[in-house]
Amino acid sequence: MKRLVSSTLLLLASSSAFAVAPGGGGCGWGNALFEGQKGPAPHILAVTTNGTSGNNTFGMTTGTNGCNTSGAIGYSGKSMLASVMDEFSEDAAKGEGEAMTAVSVAMGVSPEDRAHFAQLTHSNFSTIFSSQDVTADQVYASLQQMMKSDTQLSKYAI
Amino acid sequence: MYIIKKSWLYSIIILFASLPVKAIENPTINTELQLLIDDTSKTELWKNIEWLNLLHYQGGPDLTDFLSQVDDPIFFNAEDGKTNPKNELEQTLISLYNTNTSDQDEHAQCRNIARFNWLKNKYPNSFKQSPTITCKQYNEWRKEVPEEKVSLIFPAYHLNSPSSMFGHTLLRIDAADNEQASTWLSTAVNFGANIQNSDNSIFFAVKGLAGGYSGTFIVAPYYEKIKEYNRQENRDIWEYPLNLTPAETKRIVLHLWELKNIKFDYYFFDENCSYRLLELLQVARPELKLTQQFGLNAIPVDTVRSIEHANLMKGTVYRPSQTTSINYLLNKLNSTQRELVLNISKNADLINSDAFLQQNSQTKNIILDTAYRYLRYQQNDAGRSESNAKNSYLLLAAINKTENFSSEEIGFTEKQRPEKGHLSKRLAVTAGEDNDQSYIQLDFRMSFHSLEDNLNGFLEGAQINIGGLSLRTTNEETQLQRLDLIDIFSLTPRNDFFQPLSWRVYTGLEQQLINGRDHLTGHVTGGAGVSYNLWPHSSVYGMFTARLESSSQYNQAIEPAFGISSGLLQHFSFGTAHLELSGEEFYHDEFRHRVKYIQNINLERNHALQLSVLRQRQTGLYFTEAQISYHYFFH
Repeated sequence: MKRLVSSTLLLLASSSAFAVAPGGGGCGWGNALFEGQKGPAPHILAVTTNGTSGNNTFGMTTGTNGCNTSGAIGYSGKSMLASVMDEFSEDAAKGEGEAMTAVSVAMGVSPEDRAHFAQLTHSNFSTIFSSQDVTADQVYASLQQMMKSDTQLSKYAI
Repeated sequence: MYIIKKSWLYSIIILFASLPVKAIENPTINTELQLLIDDTSKTELWKNIEWLNLLHYQGGPDLTDFLSQVDDPIFFNAEDGKTNPKNELEQTLISLYNTNTSDQDEHAQCRNIARFNWLKNKYPNSFKQSPTITCKQYNEWRKEVPEEKVSLIFPAYHLNSPSSMFGHTLLRIDAADNEQASTWLSTAVNFGANIQNSDNSIFFAVKGLAGGYSGTFIVAPYYEKIKEYNRQENRDIWEYPLNLTPAETKRIVLHLWELKNIKFDYYFFDENCSYRLLELLQVARPELKLTQQFGLNAIPVDTVRSIEHANLMKGTVYRPSQTTSINYLLNKLNSTQRELVLNISKNADLINSDAFLQQNSQTKNIILDTAYRYLRYQQNDAGRSESNAKNSYLLLAAINKTENFSSEEIGFTEKQRPEKGHLSKRLAVTAGEDNDQSYIQLDFRMSFHSLEDNLNGFLEGAQINIGGLSLRTTNEETQLQRLDLIDIFSLTPRNDFFQPLSWRVYTGLEQQLINGRDHLTGHVTGGAGVSYNLWPHSSVYGMFTARLESSSQYNQAIEPAFGISSGLLQHFSFGTAHLELSGEEFYHDEFRHRVKYIQNINLERNHALQLSVLRQRQTGLYFTEAQISYHYFFH
């Protein structure tokens, strides 16, 4: 009974609030600065029930939403980069930040070399991000190239 | 009893779907297993709180009174596992010894890995005769999921979407070396409803609130949550590192694997995201008594408080949302500089203009940073725009070329902490006079926050109240004065950068003076309009309203009315003042015009005084009402 009452209580409010509730699950989002990211995610009204959409993501079962192509929730290099391109480009321009650290970890860079990775990415910004149309694949390739030609970082290049 | 019925239906479906897994009807009962069964039965191990927590049982203490919150028969080993913790324990032991090891990942030792570990700890010398199983999938998964530390994550209230005003909670599991690495790569553990993309929003609302959805735990990289809450939804995120030990954290991770794709009932109010997280914490540390504090509803911020109360927290990390950051930066600029930000966001080439170049270097940094963030913000709801991408890129390149560019660090004040805000329920005692008739009134509100209430820990201009009741006694009679089902008021100021709609909706029963006396009247009232900040902590608003009213006094069952409502809300350090002028005209020519002033005075976090005066004019009469109330907030 309490459920019936509480459900009725909220029903009206939520249906009107839904009209203004943005949101969306998955990893694609609408504000891609660079190409190669997903377009707007469907607004699945994740707000109210904090839900997820059809492709249920529990670790192993992901891999269909365009981000975690490796199949695991893993953040091995490229897939992670594709997912945080926007944030990473900002950190690359500024020379520091959490997205920068996350990408360097995902690229396998050890803690003692991460500051150098950040500094090098910062000074190579205009090469790595040569235009607003650069894709995650190209950025990944540029980062590999950058590491390869750096004595300190070449050991991490694939 | 809906749960049992539903589970029967699932039983039938799952029985067919999972025959290979469940084919353990005739396992060889070896001596070690028999000894285990005998001992657990003798010691009544099934009564152990750790066992009951792992199986999500509620009820008891009698064996016939248990019911597991898990709504998925595959989770249980015994046929009646959902209601019988004793049988479930015995059948779990039998399954762990099952010699059918053709699909090792589906063996009970993997599927019930937390239960298995718990039993192994209880009986360290047993399980020598059980088959040796390698949980390949689990081991692979664990490569990505660390188990050293846990944080409680609270994405706070959502600007202009008060349905999210209750917030949300999730857990984050970090590796040990996260101080030097990044919590972006940590594992976020989220309990949410399973939504089909094909469900439309109204259908979704009905289903989600009435319990039509099932919920599951979802594990994802934390950066996806940062993007979702900080950027897409513009919600500040509060992170509370917990003092769970690595051993306790490991129990959560093991249990999570057991809960992979396992369905729970999902209810918005009580069996929601926050409630399930408390259950996980109790699996980690069995002596915690968190869930029992929540009966009718588990509001996320209340669960944050219960975790704080249990001394689990050891710090606070604040992640401001994109809009919080933009507003913070804009406040550092004067109006000319703000205009420059706006112009640069439209045309990034203006960074070469004199207007920009003549600013000092710190201001230039802020202008570039703000313009860039604002561009990104604009893309939140839109697809990729070529001009936005071009301007964003030019600004990034300019930021990159700036020597020693540094972003402003945005901290928080104690007043902003959501868990320090007033508690969610409110009781009020009111004395008042209504046209020379004095009265005493008792008010109860189930949750959550009104515009005039103490602002600490809440968003400015966001009111959400669910379930309010007022009883009024005069020397003649006692009557139900009002019953509010829902009352949402969302005032989000507009400026050059943000142009949100302000709106209001409330519905319930209230006394209205019709034909010379009070009549209990049902109504639904809504409105939409705009609001602006006059100066800090003040807003002025205006909106058009519509109302449907139903009363025995009317000729028609439902009478529609249209009106306007405008007001001024001012937050002072000692409390809040709210002046409102509003009125509506009914289709049948009646009208009501009123002016109302409310002054709230905060005495303490959970205590307040409120004065209010109302002057109303309606068809044929005037009346005045004045009252003073004492408010007490509690949990």
